[in-house]
Amino acid sequence: MIMEGKRTFGLLLTIVATFAIAPLIAIVYYTFVHDGHFDVSQISRMFDNDRLWRTLGNSLLLGIFVILGTTILALPMALIRTKTSLHKYDWLDIILTIPFMTPPYIGSMGWILFMQNNGFLQQLVPGTAWLSNAFFSLFGMVMVMSLHLFPFLYLMLKNTLLRINGSFLDAALIFGRSSLRNWLRVILPLLVSSYVLGVLLIFIKTLAEFGTPATFGSRIGFQVFTTEIHSYLSRWPVDIRMATSLSLFLLSVCLVVWYVQNLIGRKFTYSVLSGKTPAVRDIKDKWFIKLGAWFYVGFVLLFAIGIPYFSIIVTSLQKVRGDGLSAGNFSFASYEAVFTSGSAGLAAFLNSVVFSILTAVITAIIGFFIALYIKKGETKKQQMLDFFSLMPNIIPGIVFVVGLIMFWNAPWLPATIYNTKTMVVVTYCVLFLPYSVQYTKSTFSQLDQSIFQSAAIFGRNSWDMYRYIFIPLLMQGILAGMMMTFIISMRELVAGLLILPPSVETGATFIYSQFEQGNVGLGMAVAVITVAMTVVFMFLLDWLQKRGGHVGA
Amino acid sequence: MKKRFKLLATAGVLVALTLAGCGNNKSADSVNNEAASAKPKEVQTLTVYSAGPDGLAANIQQAFEEKTGIKVEMFQGTTGKILSRLEAEKNNPVADIVVLASVASMDGLKESNQLHSYKEAENATKMNSDWSDVEGYYYGYSASALGIAYNTKNTKDIPTEWTDLAKPEWQGKMNIPDPSLSGSAVDFIYGYTEAEKTAWDTIQLWKNNGLQVNGANKEALDAVITGDKNATISGVDYMAYKAKASGEPVEIVYPKSGTVVSPRAVGIMKDAKNVEGAKAYVNFLLSDEGQKLVTDAYLLPGNNEIAVKDRAALDEIPQLHVNWKGSESKQLDILTKFNDIFR
Repeated sequence: MIMEGKRTFGLLLTIVATFAIAPLIAIVYYTFVHDGHFDVSQISRMFDNDRLWRTLGNSLLLGIFVILGTTILALPMALIRTKTSLHKYDWLDIILTIPFMTPPYIGSMGWILFMQNNGFLQQLVPGTAWLSNAFFSLFGMVMVMSLHLFPFLYLMLKNTLLRINGSFLDAALIFGRSSLRNWLRVILPLLVSSYVLGVLLIFIKTLAEFGTPATFGSRIGFQVFTTEIHSYLSRWPVDIRMATSLSLFLLSVCLVVWYVQNLIGRKFTYSVLSGKTPAVRDIKDKWFIKLGAWFYVGFVLLFAIGIPYFSIIVTSLQKVRGDGLSAGNFSFASYEAVFTSGSAGLAAFLNSVVFSILTAVITAIIGFFIALYIKKGETKKQQMLDFFSLMPNIIPGIVFVVGLIMFWNAPWLPATIYNTKTMVVVTYCVLFLPYSVQYTKSTFSQLDQSIFQSAAIFGRNSWDMYRYIFIPLLMQGILAGMMMTFIISMRELVAGLLILPPSVETGATFIYSQFEQGNVGLGMAVAVITVAMTVVFMFLLDWLQKRGGHVGA
Repeated sequence: MKKRFKLLATAGVLVALTLAGCGNNKSADSVNNEAASAKPKEVQTLTVYSAGPDGLAANIQQAFEEKTGIKVEMFQGTTGKILSRLEAEKNNPVADIVVLASVASMDGLKESNQLHSYKEAENATKMNSDWSDVEGYYYGYSASALGIAYNTKNTKDIPTEWTDLAKPEWQGKMNIPDPSLSGSAVDFIYGYTEAEKTAWDTIQLWKNNGLQVNGANKEALDAVITGDKNATISGVDYMAYKAKASGEPVEIVYPKSGTVVSPRAVGIMKDAKNVEGAKAYVNFLLSDEGQKLVTDAYLLPGNNEIAVKDRAALDEIPQLHVNWKGSESKQLDILTKFNDIFR
């Protein structure tokens, strides 16, 4: 059938190996081989470091709280968007992804500017100083991170709920006893797989996140694993061996999480798409459900977008930051500076766009073939490829980036892409390949076996099978994966900071360097432009996706 | 369970095999490397790794390109970031020129044999000898003095001494740039603790008084500008002057007992591919034109004869005397001690 055989496996494995495995080997090599000798002393040096356990504890605690936080935000939202009359407002989905598109350190900066002493809140409502102290705590950090990550979980849950809406719900309505029982026996079990997959990814993402801990965490003295790794990598004195060994340790933690996720995921995966399009029902809500739903949506939007963007936009428009919110203190000077021809900000922004588009296209193609090969991961080879292609999702980006630097700097390589723009795209592809694999795979795993059988019987040749069956059916997943890849590439920071060739900046590194050394207003202006542009891009993609679906059907 | 184990075992074997492959190839590369170095490629561009300030670095780049026609590729970051990048790129060096905001780190690069000596640099004799290397491995082409930057709206009693910030009215109101990120902050801690016997006690008092460690230099200063904090200890003066010039409510004082002047140094990397271009760049930084650009950015020039602009000149700043030579290893101990107190 499709995508089988040794040659395909070999080819795919080669791609994944050069892309994703080689850098990890470089890291293992760097940790265990010192001056050409095998040496484990680094590991004991790491375990002797008593901060290791504290930061690990902090990371795990943060991960658990963020799971709680994102669940509280995402689950009701997913239900509101599928079970109430709000289901028809598709623009909400795009709005709801804005927090996820916002670079995390920008979002937390927005919150910090809003909540700090003499911050925007205190300027608007004097006498709220006590809130400031309460906010700068673990609670505030969990809130900021949950508000950033919840759209990810929300989209996963919503998509699953939408698929369940089809024949399963009909069957449940006909044969079920009560709607509550339908809920407990049909919908919840079907939702579990997505939920577990989602929250464990959230957990791993929290462990791997560095933007918020670096800005917010350092303020409240809450060190986590990534900031620890980051400080060994980018702060003086540099200790790359310590960073790589800490990363290997974090990697083991993540592998355990991944293993648990797999166990649970496997137990609760069902085929819920059988070629029947889910019927769109017209839902009529009671007034209080409608009011409650809108209230909830408004509340989430205020916290996830309203407050941070208020700070970001105000800062980008301020003339004198020290004068705060006062009349006459606003101008478009920062935006004018960005749009002046030859401005560094604009060049950086355009670089980001080009890198992100290339990454989205390349990963979509590779991810498509990998997903087709993996199928449901029944054979060992499929599982192996699955495992390797998902690795970048389990391993903190910064570790991969350093691995890639080591690998592409290895003295025995005949040629290197290091210090070229190709390196940037390759790094992005490595980091974000899992998104396209994941999205395509999850759409794929919902396809019923009967589709393959009929394709095998009636298909003329394999090209036609791709063209008329798999690509249209998987299009939604592929496009969603591309969308995610694009968005995430647009805001990727760590990779940019470490691998960009001299004289090349991305939007994210430009913004970041404005915080460190330059003009915050200018950085915020680029941030606003980036997000605005991404929103436009998302509406376009949304339109494309709908059109693609119609052609396919 | 068994399946999974086999999978992991396969992965392990794969890793081991590839590692073995790396080892075998090692001997072949040294041959390759020699072949490569025997026939150097023609390089027209110059790669500069520069630790801020970004406006100055960009102006220097532009003026240098216009003057010499050499194209500059620039990487900008904090001193810590540049050092880590150099470390990661050891096998495949890229930088021709490094500009760091800390002479101690520069001296460390010299000690580890990573710099190229350029004794014959034009104007070398005009440079402040305290900031430069006698053997010409690096030149302190500019400097910033570290003071107390304070918010003029929220500060009633302007601090005149470092110990003033241990007073109760400063409780929770001040910050310091993170010395592991900021080359100038580590210089400050080093210089202050070397010259002042009671310095560590004062630092502990600051800590007890709620001193916050606040990111890179601009991040720390921004907290003061927006009024989140009232003062930054070890504030980089040129940033404060620049913010003040653009109307921000910020001012800087140098404590009477003296402060640290942190030189910013330029050096040529030993592995530089474009040595001629690198020499031209150093010459440009030390030239009167380059020094003029330095003062335009509110920095102290390496050449005392160049007049400063809208700021205190070097001889107006009470200084603690600091010896930078060989200070890198000591700085490491100091950084560890600082981190033990604050983290």
